[in-house]
Amino acid sequence: MKDLLKETYLLDVKKMAKSIERLWQEYQIVLDSKNPSWEDANRARAIIFFLGYFYPEKIVSESLEKRVPLIRPAITIDKFLEAVDKKDGKILKKYAKNEKFHKLERFYLLAKKIKNRAKNGSYLDEERFNRLYSKLKPKGYF
Amino acid sequence: MNKVIQGKATVVRSRRDYPKIKSETILISKETHPDLVLVIRNIKGIVVEVDNRLCHAAIVAREFGIPILMGVKEAAKRFKTGDRVAVDFERKTIRKMK
Repeated sequence: MKDLLKETYLLDVKKMAKSIERLWQEYQIVLDSKNPSWEDANRARAIIFFLGYFYPEKIVSESLEKRVPLIRPAITIDKFLEAVDKKDGKILKKYAKNEKFHKLERFYLLAKKIKNRAKNGSYLDEERFNRLYSKLKPKGYF
Repeated sequence: MNKVIQGKATVVRSRRDYPKIKSETILISKETHPDLVLVIRNIKGIVVEVDNRLCHAAIVAREFGIPILMGVKEAAKRFKTGDRVAVDFERKTIRKMK
């Protein structure tokens, strides 16, 4: 998670994608494990919280808020997101050769991919995680 | 895009509620789930409790050009499926209609 944060500061989208994949695989190993411990379950919990919520909705969101205003010609963050999501030809054409725009577009699409990631029919395999977590939760845990 | 829409609300509390959406509706939820796209043709508006440009609901709303109202506290508790509601996206309000 620390590496992913560092790569986000560096805006190295390729390395971010690799770090996200590593975290996802670590999460899957816990879920696939035959005898995971309570500590393992909480490692998985940390990963799903980080990947599913904290990273895209806090870190990526704030990073885009800070970086999109540096694109020239100027574009608001809402227009930027709308242009990418709607594949708005007029705006995409205007920024077709703009490296900052494209780098932030790739960054946003990476975060969006996490928000749409599903496995075994549930978002971020959360149903399997929830079953595991409930099973291992100690009595009186608070 | 209309600034105000009216219609029947569907309150979604889990992903299992999405397949129950069979006709046009205004979706009300704490947050949305990727299964939303399975019934997206019937969604004329989205009202969610979360408020973030990168939450799933905001992304889907932008992709499909659906109006969205975010940051409505306890929306999923205040309304129930079948309520007729009016959502004003400019004033950022939702109210139950008689």
